[in-house]
Amino acid sequence: MTHADRILIIVIAVLALLIGPATMVASGYASASSAYIEGPSGETVVPLGSDRVLEVAGLRGSVVVEVVDGSVSVRDAVCPDELCVQVGQVSHAGAAIVCVPNAVTVRVGGVRSGGLDAVAR
Amino acid sequence: MLLRAEALMPRVAAAVRTGRTSRLVTTGLLLSLACVLGLVESSIAAPIAGARLGLANIAIVVALGLLGETPALAIGLLRVGIVGLATGSLFGPASVLAFAGALAAWVAMCVALRSRAGFSYVGISVCGAVAHVAAQYTVAVALTGAPGILLLAPVSLLTSLLFGIVTGYAARYIISRLEVSRLSGR
Repeated sequence: MTHADRILIIVIAVLALLIGPATMVASGYASASSAYIEGPSGETVVPLGSDRVLEVAGLRGSVVVEVVDGSVSVRDAVCPDELCVQVGQVSHAGAAIVCVPNAVTVRVGGVRSGGLDAVAR
Repeated sequence: MLLRAEALMPRVAAAVRTGRTSRLVTTGLLLSLACVLGLVESSIAAPIAGARLGLANIAIVVALGLLGETPALAIGLLRVGIVGLATGSLFGPASVLAFAGALAAWVAMCVALRSRAGFSYVGISVCGAVAHVAAQYTVAVALTGAPGILLLAPVSLLTSLLFGIVTGYAARYIISRLEVSRLSGR
């Protein structure tokens, strides 16, 4: 190992250790703490911290979105088979409930908390 | 024995010029070595998410040292394709990352090899390993639009640094052996 190698290794190690805190600072505000409700009338951001019931106007009628204990669910919707209601409560980042007839999407935002999507080699 | 890349290059270049066939054979052998190492690595479960051994990098560094830049690029990209085909991940979302990593590693190692800073094969290997990881994270963030992925980057970068050193020593050893054998064309 030459002198240049050692300098390179130290520089990379320092940079690698700095990425962690830098990312934390940059993305700290985007933790899994809010739900994004998207409908024909636009997008609403709801914090998951406080419980509430929200009525969203869909294409066929209203969709009732409920936030309880940090998880979000669709309690009632004006649609034929209410698949969105059957999904139940979702809370982890990236999860979503979709009501297709009403064109309403409820998405839990923020950093993914776990699990692998793909493995690169 | 300290083998500096720049001190090694003229000897190696002279050795490789002597035989076209041996050059071709060496390229093929190194490609198959890279594929086997890649396959072995793919069947080893990563102990930590984001950590990879980068064993195939040994073959790429050896190719870079013995054969030059173009064969090293060919081996690097073909390895990703062949291993992807064998593991069933070719043309999946992860293969974009794999190709980006292989390409970035090649570029970084060529820069390190040409630089006058005096990197040994260990330094060149570290450059390749770290560039591989850095490129994969860059592409992953660009593809998913989730910068939170970068929280895993320090772990990946530090392990790639460690294994870059290990594979660099392995490559240096192989190169020093191949230099005096018939494989280098002498």
